[in-house]
Amino acid sequence: MEQQNELSFDTLVIGGGIAGSEAAINLANLNYKVILVEKDLSLGGKMIHLSKVFPTLDCSACITTPKVSETIRHPNITIYTYSEVKNIVKVSEKKFTATLVKKPRYVDEDLCTGCQECEDKCPVVVKDQFQYDLVGRKAVYVPFSIANPRVVNIDIENCILCGLCEKVCPVDAIDFTQEAVDIPLTVKSVIIATGYELFDPTQILRYGFGKFKNVVTAMQMERQLVPTRPYNSVLRPKDGKMPDNIAYILCTGSRDETVGNPICSQICCMYSVKQAQLLLGALPMADVSIYCMDIRAFGKGFCEFYQQAIGMGVEFHKGKVAKITEKENGNLILRYEDIEEGKIKEVEHDLVVLSIGVLPNPDAKLLFNNPVIESDEFNYIKQIDELLCPPETNIEGVYVAGTSSGPMDIPDSILSAGAASACSANYIRN
Amino acid sequence: MEEKNKIGVYICHCGSNISDYVDVEKVREEVAKIKHVSISKTTMFACADATQNEIVQDIQENDLDAIVVASCSPKLHLDTFKNVAERAGLNPYNYVQINIREQCSWAHSDKPVQATEKAIQLVKSGIARVGYSEALIKTKISAENVVVVIGAGVSGMRSAIELADLGSYVYLIEREYFVGGRVSQWGELFTTNETGKETISRLYNKLIEYKNITLFTGAEIISNTGTVGNFDIQVKIRPRYIKPGCKVDPEKLQRVIDACPVEVPDEFNFNLTTRKAIYKNFESEFPEIPAIDPDHCTRCGECEKLCDDIDLGQKDEFVNIKAGAIIINTGYDPYEPKTGEFGYKEIENVITLPQLKRLIELNGEELIYKNKRIQNIGYIYCVGSRQKDGENKYCSRYCCTSTIYTAIVIKNKFKDIHNFHFDKSIRTYGKLELLYREASENGDIFLQFWDEDPPVVSSNGNGTVVSIKDMLSSGKEIEVDCDLVVLVTGMVPRQDNKIADILKAPIGRDKFFNEIHPKLRPVETVIDGVLISGACQGPKNISESVKSSLSAASKANSLVKKGEIELKPTIAFIDKNACVWCDECVKACPFDAIIKVQSNGKNVAEIIEAKCKGGGMCLPVCPENAINLKGYTDNEMEAMITALAD
Repeated sequence: MEQQNELSFDTLVIGGGIAGSEAAINLANLNYKVILVEKDLSLGGKMIHLSKVFPTLDCSACITTPKVSETIRHPNITIYTYSEVKNIVKVSEKKFTATLVKKPRYVDEDLCTGCQECEDKCPVVVKDQFQYDLVGRKAVYVPFSIANPRVVNIDIENCILCGLCEKVCPVDAIDFTQEAVDIPLTVKSVIIATGYELFDPTQILRYGFGKFKNVVTAMQMERQLVPTRPYNSVLRPKDGKMPDNIAYILCTGSRDETVGNPICSQICCMYSVKQAQLLLGALPMADVSIYCMDIRAFGKGFCEFYQQAIGMGVEFHKGKVAKITEKENGNLILRYEDIEEGKIKEVEHDLVVLSIGVLPNPDAKLLFNNPVIESDEFNYIKQIDELLCPPETNIEGVYVAGTSSGPMDIPDSILSAGAASACSANYIRN
Repeated sequence: MEEKNKIGVYICHCGSNISDYVDVEKVREEVAKIKHVSISKTTMFACADATQNEIVQDIQENDLDAIVVASCSPKLHLDTFKNVAERAGLNPYNYVQINIREQCSWAHSDKPVQATEKAIQLVKSGIARVGYSEALIKTKISAENVVVVIGAGVSGMRSAIELADLGSYVYLIEREYFVGGRVSQWGELFTTNETGKETISRLYNKLIEYKNITLFTGAEIISNTGTVGNFDIQVKIRPRYIKPGCKVDPEKLQRVIDACPVEVPDEFNFNLTTRKAIYKNFESEFPEIPAIDPDHCTRCGECEKLCDDIDLGQKDEFVNIKAGAIIINTGYDPYEPKTGEFGYKEIENVITLPQLKRLIELNGEELIYKNKRIQNIGYIYCVGSRQKDGENKYCSRYCCTSTIYTAIVIKNKFKDIHNFHFDKSIRTYGKLELLYREASENGDIFLQFWDEDPPVVSSNGNGTVVSIKDMLSSGKEIEVDCDLVVLVTGMVPRQDNKIADILKAPIGRDKFFNEIHPKLRPVETVIDGVLISGACQGPKNISESVKSSLSAASKANSLVKKGEIELKPTIAFIDKNACVWCDECVKACPFDAIIKVQSNGKNVAEIIEAKCKGGGMCLPVCPENAINLKGYTDNEMEAMITALAD
């Protein structure tokens, strides 16, 4: 592995999602030098992939892309995408060392213009993880249209090394000899903004996700509703038919001891209410039903947004779906207890959306070597003074922003990032 | 003004937000025909970094002298593209944004052909306007590295400490005589086992260590004449009637309090008890010195006889503060139920959740209310929140958790208590769900009512009964005998909210203070330099309030720390030859930005640049048409109108 000269900054922000970007911009505006490290190919985290965001129905990309752009352009911020941090050690007060691992893209980022000629020629097609497997992508690919940096990357796992990309690249940016580079890093403070993971619904066998094609996750639905949606319409996967009777199953993987996650994910009620409203716009003839335990519309403007959905004709049923079975035509039968009527019912829908919950990102804990970072019983980063200093962790100088400390919506993540940056600035200053 | 002959026009798809309804390519073709348009392009996301770079490149390579971007609302991206222009070396005011998303594709999604026509006209008008645009230079004003924090509750104190740490000088202004706000009234707080008092003590002890924080209690802002960077604030400090150096001896204080003949309802205990005119809410309250409530003190002098430190001759004091920024942290009031609302004030054992929380603190081994030991408690949720017919449509966010936590505390503290929750669906979001589980495991009974069928509280001679049609048992009519009925009252904005008028801070539909944008600028208001945090912005629990107060502190500090603030150059200017000083513009200006000066032997109006917000209110009232607004001159507006009418 190649070695490089040591880098030194005031603050290391781990994670380039909305919380990480916000924290980095805040600190940079306070005149601190920030290094922002993102393990994925693009900045923007989960938010950049969303359609519209509740409760204002702002276009998510329209909010995220300028934030990303501001982050990239800030003279006090240095960005490493497709890079990871490991082995963080607190050497002394205001001195942390770590190793930055820059993973190989097999493409020279500085040369690549994102023209995608290589992508046209690449003969390999695999599932596109950024479209949540709804469509395919090539082995050499720009992650998504508004990715930043907008350069290609070679998925070496699936690449057949045919060399076509190398041949067509007009700027000779393809470089199969790239290797991971370890860069030693010294910083004065750290902000953890590693975000969350989504619950994997294959764990709940009775919902048939992965087996019944017309059972999709809310994130897959989200991708069908974004401006850059893959089908330019909402289609059900099994036969490409436009659905007209859609069901949402809330608390899939949340508030559920049987999958080891008894807590509430805090965002699924609202994103489902939002998607339901967007679906009524995209498919004016469709019916949308939401099966829920409760609707947790607690934030500013949320309750009004929920009432708006009721007014638009979204149907809410109190009752947890017990089981889904598939009919031959791909339609799905939902068996549930209608709590309001006290009856077991079976209803038919032609598309089922699982409102999957959020889980902690287990990577966050592994970044720290000495001392170790403490987490709570659910594996979220532990907040040691939740009331008076919410960003504080067990390591002085290490602060937590966004969903690394627990489920949170976007406005709360942004506020927590602001708080983390304030704490980090004070730690360095005093 | 130079003529523009190399204009670049960019028409955004906004993914498909615009291009689903507006034929952007057709718009491009139409405007490309206009003379002086030298570049016209369509783009997937004009705001994306790659497009921004492309525009910069276009400007530099083609020496463009103006650009027009047709995309979303200027509210979202005016500054984004101004920055693009600036980066390319073009004056940012030679840029015009045209909104073809909100005004075309979203407004006319049922009529794509007409939406496209409208977009074409709008873009043409933007091109016409930019033809008359002038390069403007931002002015800079000095800014005081001083921040005024209004309200010394948990959120305000936290903002103050953070700002002081970041190097700003802080004036912390509290209306009450004591700090701590609502939190000091509460016992154990959820997610910690600390009490409200302990939390506030922890903060106060830290706060007083700072030399760059000045705390005023019993103080209110009565006026402001300045603007961002240089707010000019007058504070009125009510007398405490106690000499400042007083060393409090608890025994002596008690004798003085006992001697006071005045007895008034104690608001700290939500009127469950009474207090004297001289008071301290609890022993460890801060500041340590008690206060005499001037509204109720009869000046009888009984207290003065016992204590030399009392001085009933103290008068109001006034302090002027120059500050660069202001953070409003004024918190909330609990909703006060109407008489008869679920039996409130009509049935004697109906109280509110805040009252219950005080009751727990006031009781010892047993939970007693009105001399009766309490065993069955019924909690009625969403009183004053999520109203079907009332004004408060919003959810108060903290009350489900707060009630459940209080029920747990009661179960742990007192024997033989049965909790019955009459709710509208429980919203213990996130990890707070664990408290809901704990209460359920404690044996609390949860019953749920329909929106249109709320529970009924009635008195049946022997006691109080809550009747509910319970959703969770599919509509069974259930009656529960309750010794105590607790109305779970939500948060409402402060009843006395004069500060909103003084600072001209905007109020939202829910009557709480409104931020510019919940995601992009969550702690800023449309008034530059006036920030908001905590529950005055909308219901929040303590942790959430503190997050926002820390955020606001760092925003305020980054605004004022540089010692200067850039002002927008889009302000009014006066043609002194034409002005006849009629005074109309002065009357129209909401910011007091116009003054009378002498020029060439006559009275004329002059704009105070730091105060002018470019609101344009003065323009239409001027009978001589002597006022123009930079960046929105008559020439520009007329060119737009002509193009639209074409």
